[in-house]
Amino acid sequence: MASEKKFELHLPSAPGVEKVAMDFAAAVAKTMNFPADRVEDLKSAVAEACLNAIEHGNKMDANMKVGISLTVDKGRLQVAVQDEGAGIGQVPTPNIDKQIEGKSDPRGWGIFLIKNLMDEVTFESTPKGNVVKMIIHLDK
Amino acid sequence: MAKGQEISIRPKGDVSVIDIKGDVTALTGQPVEDAYHHVTAAGAKKILLAFASDCYINSGGIAVLIGILSESRKKEQAVRMTGLSAHFQKIFAMVGLTKYAQIHLSEEAALADF
Repeated sequence: MASEKKFELHLPSAPGVEKVAMDFAAAVAKTMNFPADRVEDLKSAVAEACLNAIEHGNKMDANMKVGISLTVDKGRLQVAVQDEGAGIGQVPTPNIDKQIEGKSDPRGWGIFLIKNLMDEVTFESTPKGNVVKMIIHLDK
Repeated sequence: MAKGQEISIRPKGDVSVIDIKGDVTALTGQPVEDAYHHVTAAGAKKILLAFASDCYINSGGIAVLIGILSESRKKEQAVRMTGLSAHFQKIFAMVGLTKYAQIHLSEEAALADF
């Protein structure tokens, strides 16, 4: 579509690079006049998607890349975060009560946050790696 | 300690205040845990986690905090939190952390709640 603008960033799978992706996404969202609270939602969701890609998809292999693609469309921003690893399968929804009681691992909140902070989220496993696609709307 | 991170402890009456500046993540969570263990070893029963308003906290940092709250529950310590940005107040409520440690808008309000 002619009105779409696309921005891409490719990062090594190294600790801390998710903050580069956060700032990249925030810069684009601000040009679209997203309110500050939604920019913060986007930053956290992008960071969590990148962390999953780095840790679980690419297994912290710095030679494997994480691709972040931002597509600006009418009233919405689409974000795709792609790794180069094998599928990570279903991740159970974390339960804080069980975690506080010490009955389950306190990790695993990344996907929960992504789903709750973004307006639309899909997860795909392809032969080239895993892709998390997220959409955030200006009017929500 | 990670660049930009500062963790310090100060007494405020019978409350042990842990001041947290910088990132709280899986990679940078150890100094926060160390501060908690330090005040616990000193016998703290009331603990206030005082975050700087520009703290960055991710899911790994949330896991660190859940670990602290899990331990504090077993040790019958009361924990409160303050200083969090509106975004992280929302996230902590979303996750359910606020069931185990209330968030207050000011340090004074948090201290008064113990």
